[in-house]
Amino acid sequence: MQDRRSNRAGKSLGGRTLAYLLMVVVTALWGAPILWMLVTSVKPESEIYAYPPAWIPDHPTLEAYAALFQRFPMLTWFRNSAVVGILTTLLTLAVDALAAYPLARMQFPGRRIIMGVIFATFLLPYELLFVPLFLGLNSYGLVDSIFSLTVPASANAFGVFLLTQFFQAVPRELEDAAIMDGCGRFGFFWRILLPLTKPGLATVAIFTFVASWNNFFWPLIATNSDETRTLPVGLATLVGGAGMSMKQSVLMASAVVATLPTALFFLALQRHFVRGIAATGIKG
Amino acid sequence: MTSLASQPAGRSRARRASAQEGGAVRSGMTLAAYLFLSPYLALFIAFMLLPTLAAVGISFMRWDILGAPEFIGLDNYRQIFGDPLFLTAIKNTFYFVFLTAIPMVVLGLALAILLDQKLKGTAFVRTVVFLPYVVMVSTVGILWGWLFDKGTGLVNYYLTTIGLEPVAWLKDPHWSMPALAITTIWWTVNTNMIIFLAALQDISEELHDAATLDGAGPWQRFVYITLPLLRPAMALVTALTIINGWRVFGQAYVMTQGGPEASTFVIVQYIYLTAFQNFEMGPAAAAGVVLLLITLIFSLAQMKLMKAI
Repeated sequence: MQDRRSNRAGKSLGGRTLAYLLMVVVTALWGAPILWMLVTSVKPESEIYAYPPAWIPDHPTLEAYAALFQRFPMLTWFRNSAVVGILTTLLTLAVDALAAYPLARMQFPGRRIIMGVIFATFLLPYELLFVPLFLGLNSYGLVDSIFSLTVPASANAFGVFLLTQFFQAVPRELEDAAIMDGCGRFGFFWRILLPLTKPGLATVAIFTFVASWNNFFWPLIATNSDETRTLPVGLATLVGGAGMSMKQSVLMASAVVATLPTALFFLALQRHFVRGIAATGIKG
Repeated sequence: MTSLASQPAGRSRARRASAQEGGAVRSGMTLAAYLFLSPYLALFIAFMLLPTLAAVGISFMRWDILGAPEFIGLDNYRQIFGDPLFLTAIKNTFYFVFLTAIPMVVLGLALAILLDQKLKGTAFVRTVVFLPYVVMVSTVGILWGWLFDKGTGLVNYYLTTIGLEPVAWLKDPHWSMPALAITTIWWTVNTNMIIFLAALQDISEELHDAATLDGAGPWQRFVYITLPLLRPAMALVTALTIINGWRVFGQAYVMTQGGPEASTFVIVQYIYLTAFQNFEMGPAAAAGVVLLLITLIFSLAQMKLMKAI
């Protein structure tokens, strides 16, 4: 039996050569900016603006990283982003899984309306919410707090949507048997449904964390001190006024530090990303 | 998307079960369902539903941080539509959508087709194209802000090595928006690529084999088999690309701060400026409602169009 895809374009030598040529071009276009960021971040000052640009530094150094951590509260921003990301992820997982169970597996009045309203928010430009959210949180004195960065973000439709799909795939017989054994609905949910749908939970967790880590507009509004400021907002201040004189190596070092956690996350768990996007098309 | 199709089966199974169990059990199930739903619904109502309604309400009010809110009808809408900066923001955002929508869909599909080939190295190239997905917008802005620098940026360096004139990209009002569009395509086309890849892999090989036996060439197979079967994915990708295009902000904020000469000043930056720098909540909310209406109109028009094709 021939390979199932052998009859696609890659059959003829010409087609294959063209495909490989295109792959090289694509790799160069998408990879070069990331590589340039890495290379520049370890260049000494004298080499940053060398002409023609050098892809391999003559005297690699970590001085840009040292300058970055000395001059900016990187560790605080980093810690804030980590705390916000982890809390948002845990809260989202708990709340979304609880909600997805009845939506996926129970018949009750109001189910279709609730699903319709939740999934309609996929089309909602969230920027609309930020004025009332800010005013509401401000009236309770909650702006510039970890609360304002975590709890409002946890009502996202993506996790419910994805988990509903995973939960529907679990056989009915398992649930009947569990409830017959006196397990109860919550017992079934906790001891059987969740363990069986770990890949779905992992996908939601990863997406939520990356979305939180990279979230920019709301933290820009909802924070005004380094005590709560997250990495994306802190980094944006580097290119504003203060950053105009900043060396490109320091800026690129900040880019590397900000990207490293999510990039490692992604490289280790790539298939979860692909599954999540394929299912909903939602950008994290 | 495949599980969406299996939803009716699950529902009818649940219906059958509830019919057997009878009323008492059903009301027990209703109670249980709402208990499970309650934490999510509480957050959803507090942080999604009420703010949406409040945004519409505030758009009809005078609401400064100090002082009591006051109903003023359509005054906020009159104010923003009389503000040249808001009209510029709508025009610029539309230009951004125009510049990104078609390349994002076409390139997303092209990349998916290329990387769907059974060739060595496709997994690696997919990873490379996908990597920008995890880069945060400030970093994207910082990185591409330099790549597009007139004197020391890589883009101009390589343009001049192939004999083209250097461009002042982010300092030139004619080139600033195309530069933002290029940055955005590099950053987010991977999402579209993945959706198309998933859809391509759902198309059965038998269809292609049968068509090949009937003498259809690769181009005919693409036009008569692949494209029609990609319609749902195409609709999703187009809708998401357009909606996200209208919501653009971070790239413009970090790379150009809306300039030069307001050439990259977009609707969301207008909301940000009005609400959080001028503290005029009413007009900012009105601008948010306009953004919602624009994305709704575009989604509906696009759905109609997709049905017609």
